[in-house]
Amino acid sequence: MHIIVCIKSVLLAAPEKQAAVRTADFSDLNPFDRPAIEMALRLREEAGGKITVLSMGPPVAADALRQALALGADGAVLLCDRALAGADSLATSTALAAAIAKLAPYDLVLFGTRTSDSDTGQVGPQTAVLLGLPLVTWVHELERTEHGLLTERRADGFRERFEVLLPGVMTIHPASFAPRDAALAGIEEAYETGNVRIWNLEELGCAPAEVGAAGSPTRVVSLTKKKKDRKCELLTGTGEELAETLVQKLLGRGLIG
Amino acid sequence: MSYSATTNSQEWGSTAKNSMDIFLTDKNRAVRRAVRSFCEREIAPLAKQIDQEASFPWEVAEKMGRLGYFGIQAPPALGGAGLDTVNYVLTIEEISRVSAGIGLCVTVHNSVAVGPLLAFGTEDQKRRWVPSLARGEKIGAFCLTEPNVGSDAAGIESTAIRDGDHYVVNAGKVLVTNGGIADTCLFFVRTDPKAGRRGISVIVAERGTPGFAVGDLEDLCGMRANPVSSIRLTDCRIPIANLLGREGMGLAIGLAALDTARMGIAAQAVGIAQAALEESVRYAKQRRQFGVPIAKHQSIQAMIADMATEVDAARLLVLRAAVCRDRGVPFSQASAMAKLYASEAASRVTDMAVQIHGGYGYSKSYPVERYYRDARATRIYEGTSEIHRMVIARGVLGD
Repeated sequence: MHIIVCIKSVLLAAPEKQAAVRTADFSDLNPFDRPAIEMALRLREEAGGKITVLSMGPPVAADALRQALALGADGAVLLCDRALAGADSLATSTALAAAIAKLAPYDLVLFGTRTSDSDTGQVGPQTAVLLGLPLVTWVHELERTEHGLLTERRADGFRERFEVLLPGVMTIHPASFAPRDAALAGIEEAYETGNVRIWNLEELGCAPAEVGAAGSPTRVVSLTKKKKDRKCELLTGTGEELAETLVQKLLGRGLIG
Repeated sequence: MSYSATTNSQEWGSTAKNSMDIFLTDKNRAVRRAVRSFCEREIAPLAKQIDQEASFPWEVAEKMGRLGYFGIQAPPALGGAGLDTVNYVLTIEEISRVSAGIGLCVTVHNSVAVGPLLAFGTEDQKRRWVPSLARGEKIGAFCLTEPNVGSDAAGIESTAIRDGDHYVVNAGKVLVTNGGIADTCLFFVRTDPKAGRRGISVIVAERGTPGFAVGDLEDLCGMRANPVSSIRLTDCRIPIANLLGREGMGLAIGLAALDTARMGIAAQAVGIAQAALEESVRYAKQRRQFGVPIAKHQSIQAMIADMATEVDAARLLVLRAAVCRDRGVPFSQASAMAKLYASEAASRVTDMAVQIHGGYGYSKSYPVERYYRDARATRIYEGTSEIHRMVIARGVLGD
C-alpha cells in the first residue's frame, strides 16, 4: 500500500504583517496533520507498504517533512519554487494534485481536516476533485476490506459509514487517532540521513499561470489582528437575584427572548 | 474540540521573540519540541503527585524507554538514539522543567551508567549491558558515595578481593541516585588497599546477585520522585569479567564520567529555573495588588528580569560545554563552570519565584516550592559548588 500524506508547515503564531516571513523557530508541523500521519503509520503497520509525505512551501517547510520522517514516514517531497509562492487553496491543490499524480501508483491520499494557521479546510477536498478521486472527509475510523476501505465519518452528531474504493482521498478527524511521539532515534535519523526531495516547478510539470499567486482566484486583501473586547462583569446577590439580573441583561442585548 | 492546535507553541523564554534559538539547528529544535510535548502530556500531570508521594512512575519510564530517553547518546547499534551532547542537554532540560526527579533519573542513567560503559567497556561488556539500559528495560546507577566518602573520592573503603575468576565485594554505598530501581550498578571499590588513589576500580554489580541488598529510600527534601537509596554488597561474588577498564582505573573512570554528568546536572538546573520563571511570569500577570497585576510593579519586574537573565546565562554555559564535547575539545572546565553557575542560578531563580508568589509560593498549592526544593540539590550532588570552585580555580590558575 502506498499512502501519501499531505502536510503543512504552519506558523506558530499569527503574523504581525500580511506577508509573514517563515522561519524555522516560528514554524511547526501542522498539529491537525499529525492524526493523518498516525493513521498512515497504523495502516502501514497493518498492511505493509510505504508512506510518502508531501508538502508545498518555502525551504523552511522541509522541517515539517523531517518531523514526519522522524515519526516513521518512508519518503518526503517538498514542492518549492518561487512561482508557487502566494498560492491560495486552489493553487495549492493544483500543485499538490500534480505532485500526487507524479507519485503514482498510490492507494490512499490523506490530509488533516484543516491547518492551525490559515484554517480553510479546503485543500484536501479540492485536491480530491482535481484528481477525480472519491473523497471522505472527517474520517474517524477506518477498516480494511477486500476491495478498499470501510470508513466512519463523524460530523453533525451523525456517524456515517462509507465504503471506499481505492485509490481515494480522506481528511482525518483531529480527534481520531492520538498521534505518537517521535522517538529520539527517529529524529536523529530523519535529520541526519532522511531524504527530502525538492521538486521545482519544472519537475512538477505545472504551468506558471496555474500555480502560486498567478493561479489563485482569491487573494488576501488585508490581515489585522482581532481585538478581543470582551469584558468580565461580576454579578452579586442571592441566587434568585442573580438569575433575574442575568435574564434582564441577556434580554436587553437581544440574546434571548 | 479536544485537540489543541497550540501544542508546542511555547518556546524558550517568556517572550515570543527569543534569540536563544539562533544557536539551535533544526534537529535540536525537533528534539526539544518532541521531548517537551511528551513531558507536558505524560509527566506534567503526575509531577506533583510523584513528588508528594516520593514514587517513581514506571509507566512513564517505560514510554521514555521506547522513545530512547535512556540511551540518548548510545549508538543505534546498541539500542540508543545516537544523539550528540547538545541534544542530550536539551532533553535533560526539558524533562527537568516538568519533573526534576525524573530528569535526575534520566541524566544519571545516561551520563554515569551508560556513558562509562560506552567509554571504558569492552565490546563484550557493551553488548551485554548497554542495549537493555539504552531501551530503559534496565536502570543504571553510579555507586560512589559512602558514609565516610563524598568529595574525597580517593578515600573509598568498599573492597573487592580477587578470588580466582571472581571478586568478593563488600561495599556500603549511600545516597545512590536511582538506587531503589537500579539493575546495573557501577561500584567504586578498592581493589588494592596499598595503592591509594590508584587502588580504586569500577566493578559492575547487577541487582539479584546474591549479597546485593537495596536499603530504605532516603526521605529527601527535593527530587522526591527519584528513588535515592543505599545499596550494600555483602560478600558478593562478581565475575572478573565485570571489571570496567583495568584495576586501579576507578578514579579516572569516575572523573571522566562526572565531567559529562555535570553538564546534565547543569541542564537539569536550567530546566528547574526555566519552570520557575514561566510560573512566575504567569502568576505576576494574573495576581492583582494595588489595582494592577503585580507584573506592573517595578520590584516584581526587576526580579523577572534577573530571573530571565540568569536562566539564559546558565543555558548558554551549558550549551557551550556541550558544544565543546561534541567538537572534541577539552570541556572539563566549561562543564564545571556550567554546573556551578546553573545550580546556583537555579537556587536564586527559584528563591525569587517563591518571593513573587508570596504566601502561595510557600504553599504546596503552587509548584514553585517544589522547584525551590529541587534546585537546592543541584548545588550538592555530582560535585558540590565548593569542589567545582576548586576545579575551576585550578584550571584558571594553571596549577
